[in-house]
Amino acid sequence: MDFDTLMKKNYIILDGAMGTMLQSHGLEAGDIPELLNITEPEKIMDIHKSYIASGSNIIYANTFGANRYKLEGCGHSVEELVKIAVNNAKKACEGTDTLTALDIGPIGQLLEPTGNLTFEEAYDIFREIITAGKDADIIVFETMTDLYEAKAGVLAAKESSDKPIIVTMTFEENMRTFTGCSISSMALTLEGLGVNALGVNCSLGPGELYPIIEEMSKWTNLPLVIKPNAGLPDPVTNKYNVTPKEFAEYIGKLNKFGIKFVGGCCGTDPKHIKETVKILGSLEPVSKKKELPAAICSPVNTVTLNMPRIIGERINPTGKKLFKEALINKNMDYILGQAIEQVQGGAEILDVNVGSPEIDEKEMMITTVKAIQGVVDLPLQIDSTIPEVLEAALRVYNGKPIVNSVNGEDKSLDAILPLVKKYGAAVIGLTIDKDGIPSDAKKRVEIAERIMNRALKEGIPKRDIYIDCLTLTASAEQKAVTETLNAVETVKNRLGLHTVLGVSNISFGLPNRPVINSTFLTMALTKGLDMAIINPNVEAMVGAVRAYRLLAAHDVNSVQFIEKYGGNAPAPIYRKETEHTLEYAIEKGLKAEARSITSKLLYSKSPMEIINQIIIPSLDKAGNEFEKGKIFLPQLILSAGVTQEAFEVLKNEMAKKNNDTIDKGKIVIATVKGDVHDIGKNIVKVLLENYGYTVIDLGKDVEYEAVVNAIKDNKCRLVGLSALMTTTLGSMAETIKLIKKNAPYCKIMVGGAVLTPDYAKTIGADYYSKDAKRSVDIAKEVLG
Amino acid sequence: MITIDKINRSEALRYMGYKKDMDIKNTEHILDKCEKELLSVIKPRFCYRIFDIDKKGDPLSFKGCKLTLEGNDIAAHLRGCDKAVIMAATLSSDTDKLINRYKVRDMTSAFILDCMASAAIEQVCDMAQSEIIKAHHIKNITWRFSPGYGDLSIKLQREMIACLNGERLIGLTATENNILMPRKSVTAIMGISDNEIPKGKRGCAICSMANVCQYRKRGDHCGL
Repeated sequence: MDFDTLMKKNYIILDGAMGTMLQSHGLEAGDIPELLNITEPEKIMDIHKSYIASGSNIIYANTFGANRYKLEGCGHSVEELVKIAVNNAKKACEGTDTLTALDIGPIGQLLEPTGNLTFEEAYDIFREIITAGKDADIIVFETMTDLYEAKAGVLAAKESSDKPIIVTMTFEENMRTFTGCSISSMALTLEGLGVNALGVNCSLGPGELYPIIEEMSKWTNLPLVIKPNAGLPDPVTNKYNVTPKEFAEYIGKLNKFGIKFVGGCCGTDPKHIKETVKILGSLEPVSKKKELPAAICSPVNTVTLNMPRIIGERINPTGKKLFKEALINKNMDYILGQAIEQVQGGAEILDVNVGSPEIDEKEMMITTVKAIQGVVDLPLQIDSTIPEVLEAALRVYNGKPIVNSVNGEDKSLDAILPLVKKYGAAVIGLTIDKDGIPSDAKKRVEIAERIMNRALKEGIPKRDIYIDCLTLTASAEQKAVTETLNAVETVKNRLGLHTVLGVSNISFGLPNRPVINSTFLTMALTKGLDMAIINPNVEAMVGAVRAYRLLAAHDVNSVQFIEKYGGNAPAPIYRKETEHTLEYAIEKGLKAEARSITSKLLYSKSPMEIINQIIIPSLDKAGNEFEKGKIFLPQLILSAGVTQEAFEVLKNEMAKKNNDTIDKGKIVIATVKGDVHDIGKNIVKVLLENYGYTVIDLGKDVEYEAVVNAIKDNKCRLVGLSALMTTTLGSMAETIKLIKKNAPYCKIMVGGAVLTPDYAKTIGADYYSKDAKRSVDIAKEVLG
Repeated sequence: MITIDKINRSEALRYMGYKKDMDIKNTEHILDKCEKELLSVIKPRFCYRIFDIDKKGDPLSFKGCKLTLEGNDIAAHLRGCDKAVIMAATLSSDTDKLINRYKVRDMTSAFILDCMASAAIEQVCDMAQSEIIKAHHIKNITWRFSPGYGDLSIKLQREMIACLNGERLIGLTATENNILMPRKSVTAIMGISDNEIPKGKRGCAICSMANVCQYRKRGDHCGL
């Protein structure tokens, strides 16, 4: 029998637990169960056969933990163990209609951004298993808790096999996985990636799975899979507490949600499966195709287009000098700062565009998407004109993103729509083609319709096609404003598609732009605009969307609006007026006041005067107090944080005046491999930058080679290395060795709490920097 | 199920390097904000198994469990015990994410949160231990001995997680270098006995970090 034939059955019966069965046969806690495929194949086959005899249509080969990481040091390769395991399962199936699944569990290491296993490494680990298990009929990923890991697995399966794919994840009672992934995010992402069935296994008993399956059924029309535990284990006996009969009764209650694949996880045995078969035999399958919500997601945050949404436009270098500099210097903190600021402003989706001629856009896009999803939970909108850049971002994005954008030209549609389909994204179609933007609404709607038809043909669901009817500048083409609005209305109502508009362009070249922007935004919202691409840091814009939601009764009982603007709302943090001096603000840690004080100071002093006369002496003072034990570390960092705010004002001022950003030379800095302490390094960075040096900050836990490469790429004559733990001084020494060998022209300064001048000399450093100020002196000496 | 509604402030402050004559008034609002935010994201979880100690074995091992414990300090720790509790606890990965988010723009809060989370995981371990004692009517129990302390290898982290099924039960993993992930997590071994347990050595005397310890440098100790 093949999978398609099997799918015609009312229910497909999976097997029960493997581990539990092995434990009852004497497997010890901490043993590697997959080794038994080799040492005791008969025992494994007997378990498979007992499930087949109980009615399983699919059995899972004993390959759950057979990955490179978990098998390390066991004496057998992944290829060897997986092949034998699949073979054992196939042998057990001989003479029956039962199919064999390659069973793949989590790798056992946490993926980036929280952990340090990269997405690419995870993909590679999965591909190795899938290649080894190519004889299995089906590929199953189960017990997944990290959506990112599941995505790496599914991509690996899709790209190295044509077998059907089933994914089940493990949810807690709070309806989330351990890593915070929600049910909607799982369903949106995995259905988008084209799996054949999805569901839940392990963690809870069948009774507790009720709300989880109920929720899952709302977000997908794919067949649902359940493989619950038989309750929870006893810490002493490790026995589970739900009997086969109870188990089957609970399963029966889940039938109404359209379950199709049913089996058992931890604590279940052939009796549980037998009882389940019995119960399902008396039931009718429930399968109704329902309208699914239009939505996009990150793992923890699903944004449904059931009301107008705010897309933040600030991660985009166009017309922004500081942003371009940040891209060139790979200053991720600057870009992440832009992301966080927009979240605080009220953005619900973030557009990400890192296109700049001076950089490798693809590499930068990967780095940026990964970094942003490490600190921000909003879904992203991937913005590039280059298909390779879009694909790179779609691969490493964790969730279901929006692609910005395709247009009505065949070339664009041909290149981009297949990517949108493959990675399960939503897509924005621009109503422009080779003849440019049509001046009237009718023609723009025609392009929209063409894009829609092509996308549908590609297999992209209608709910995932968004149309941007394009905002033209009112000062240049006043009459076109109405055309844009009419096009939005028609696309929304006649074509039934969701709409999106970049708003700010409307006021280009006019005074008092915020008024025009927010008025145009409100006009568009009344025409049915679903997503506004705006600067969420401008209160008038975000406020217009929030007010519209209230007035259009999306914000039921005005709850969200009152929460935002009512009496209990937190006061805005920045731009506080004050009479304090900058010295005082730095000493007392008055971060909120630093910007306005600095702005005022700029009337009487130059940026360099402010740095030399106020900031540096004040920081020195804080440093001295800390050394004397008068203040504790949070206070010292706070003072540095205040100066950082001041520096931002100064940098903006310098960028505005365009007095060519003073570049006294480039300095690479890094916290060495194995060390994650980067506070000291960050203070050094801030100081150096504002003395006019360009700092290339490689971050923390930096590979030796990465430091060398950065020095060579930027022809740096000075590098700063930081280590804060005795245990990482070794990797500082290794890094220095490699620099000396490959870039002997580069001077090395080192710093960090556990270093001494003597030790610095011993490991070959040219300078010991006792504090951030000293690093500036060293920079002056080396670079001038 | 364990919940924490308050961070042990004085312990967290100690981790931050606070001494009692310091004036830290200007950070108090930040400390309060951090505590509130941390409490809203931590999801304490723990799991444990109780094994019989295999008396005959050297190195120390357990019945029905693959784990072997090499080292004099752990042997001394479990002397006089016939069973051991192997436990693991975590604050969950949302804690790491919160701290990482603050690292971008607000290092002060990031540092404070990091110290508070260290205090919180110890609180979780204390509470977990109490629950275990209650659930199994344990009469005598040792303090919590963790891999990396004394001469017990840090490499045990991965094996302990495997023995506890900790990845499935509480989402705990270890890196190739045996750093626990999520970061704010603990694994520990406690000996239990019906009879009184002889007091083992404890503190800086057997600690492998004694020479470089930040707490000792400032005339303090980590609290163990």
